[in-house]
Amino acid sequence: MAWNEPGGGNNKDPWGGRGDQGPPDLDEVVRKMQDKLGGLFGGRKRGGGGGGGAGKAGFAGFGVVAIIVLVVWLFSGIYIVDAGKRGVVLRFGAFTEATMPGPHWHIPYPVEQVEIVDVEQRRFIEIGYRSGSGGQSAVTVPREALMLTQDETIVNIQLAVQYQVEDPRLYLFNVRDPDAVLKQSAESALREVIGKSKMDFVLQEGRAEVVARTKSLMQDILNSYESGLLVSDVNLQDAQPPEEVQGAFSDAIKAREDRVRLKNEAEAYANDVIPKARGTAARQVQEAEGYRESLVAKAEGEASRFTQLLGEYEKAPEVTRKRLYLETMESVMSRTGKVVVDSESTGNLMYLPLDELFKRRVQPPSFSSPDESEASSGESGNDEALRPSRRPREAR
Amino acid sequence: MANTRAFIVMLGLLLVALAGFSLFTVAEWEKAIMFRLGEIREADFKPGLHVKIPFINNVRKFDGRLLTQDVEPERFLTVEKKNVIVDSFVMWRIADVKRYYKAVAGDERNARLRIEQVIKDGMRGEFSKRTINEVVSGERDVIMEELTKAANRQAQQIGIEIADVRIKRIDLPAEVSNSVYRRMQAERSRVAKEFRSRGFEESEKIRANADRQRQVLIAEAYREAEQIRGEGDAKAAEIYANAYGKNQEFYAFTRSLKAYQEAFQGGSDVLLLEPDSEFFDYFDRARD
Repeated sequence: MAWNEPGGGNNKDPWGGRGDQGPPDLDEVVRKMQDKLGGLFGGRKRGGGGGGGAGKAGFAGFGVVAIIVLVVWLFSGIYIVDAGKRGVVLRFGAFTEATMPGPHWHIPYPVEQVEIVDVEQRRFIEIGYRSGSGGQSAVTVPREALMLTQDETIVNIQLAVQYQVEDPRLYLFNVRDPDAVLKQSAESALREVIGKSKMDFVLQEGRAEVVARTKSLMQDILNSYESGLLVSDVNLQDAQPPEEVQGAFSDAIKAREDRVRLKNEAEAYANDVIPKARGTAARQVQEAEGYRESLVAKAEGEASRFTQLLGEYEKAPEVTRKRLYLETMESVMSRTGKVVVDSESTGNLMYLPLDELFKRRVQPPSFSSPDESEASSGESGNDEALRPSRRPREAR
Repeated sequence: MANTRAFIVMLGLLLVALAGFSLFTVAEWEKAIMFRLGEIREADFKPGLHVKIPFINNVRKFDGRLLTQDVEPERFLTVEKKNVIVDSFVMWRIADVKRYYKAVAGDERNARLRIEQVIKDGMRGEFSKRTINEVVSGERDVIMEELTKAANRQAQQIGIEIADVRIKRIDLPAEVSNSVYRRMQAERSRVAKEFRSRGFEESEKIRANADRQRQVLIAEAYREAEQIRGEGDAKAAEIYANAYGKNQEFYAFTRSLKAYQEAFQGGSDVLLLEPDSEFFDYFDRARD
């Protein structure tokens, strides 16, 4: 219904042009109207040829007031629907039409009324928490957040739901307080979905599915109420075990890490030990080879020495033999103490103080036995043992 | 003339007043009921403008939309005699205004009280037939359906249609919750233990395998080393045998001499000698 339709011939032209140019200047409008209409009425009355001055003025005044009231009343029917909103026009309470964004006119109160509904605004509700206003951290609401799972454990869920009005008519007429209904349905749907899932599923791999199922279940519920609402987005803000058991849960997670750590440590150990063992093994083999080579070399050397010596020996066996023997004995005798005993020619018991002899050999600088002073015939060094050997011989 | 005008004005006002008394509107979301001198005459009004006789007819309007009613949380016993706290809500609307008006005298609070009773009775019945698990997960929707049906039967008598009964929360009482927490903790620590001992198992397997490899490597190396040493020994023996075999007597002689050299290295040895050895051949003779 266009705004100027029911206005009648008189009003149509003057206001038709002005309406589009923005808000009309009421004072001016009224003044002009007063002039025009006043003149019109007055002219008619006069032309009708009757009435006193006072009556004429009174009637004109009444007419003017009536028309002003009428115009103001008609103007009260102008309304503008902003972008993203819809107007719903009710005539005597009955739905007449839905209007799109733009300027509109309806028959003013009490005949028609307009309800304006925002259909694009994303509204949202929070379940299980309330995000703090102005940078405050969110507060959990345990009463909403804690819920039972299928395996009779309790999880802590925080869900945010975004929704918008899909059908303004249903939104207005079908359900009282649709926003509250949405919250109730969201809670109910979420709990139903969680109640049909196992805890591990909810906390780990099933998050996306929980969200999807909650969303579709919610939408089903809302549709069954014909609430005119559309769930546009469901977000699982948080899914956790309840605070009371967080310790045990984080310990289990730690245990999983520990498992990996233990395995890694063991692998590190293996990586450490096996190459070392390989090294040790290689060393053993190398040492053995060294032993073999050196033994063979030594044998060859010694064999060669012997063979060469043998060659010479065979040329003059007697002399060589004697020389070798004497040289060796000389070298041996020169290093050791000696006692020469002629046992054949004596039948007597011979006293030989071996202990004393050993003592002397061990500590040559401090000998002070009576034997020593007696046998000081100028022989020096380690041959002193030869002296005592004399005595038995001379005592004989 | 002035009187005529005044009369017109008065008439106009009167008409407006009459219209005000004899017309009434029913909005989209309303259900209206019209009485004649206290007696219900009509209850089936379409939205829009309607006429009544002033002072004789009387109109009351009710909210005809779906109404949400949050049912207070209450404890119910399940079949295993466990308590659960159930929070639910009901969606209902006035179906039959006449009955509704008669039953609750048009007072919504009365209606709500009646509905709450009906729902709670229904729930008590449904829960006492089921276990917690059935209630929480398995038969949640069945319960809700049954409740809706049962509640509807009773609600019809008061002119109300129950569109839906939905269970929101099914909670365990605090003391039971605590034991649930303990169970969850126990379950988690079982998982944690399993992880740790699995880790230990894997670790031990790897370590033992490493140790075995080490042992085998070293033993094999020992075997190889001994073989090599044996080869060396054999080769050396062969060389010696070849060389010394040429003159065994001379070998014994030279080897003995060498042994004497080696054996009497230390200065602490004392030789006890008889002067008739080869070494002393010239010892006494020279003196004699």
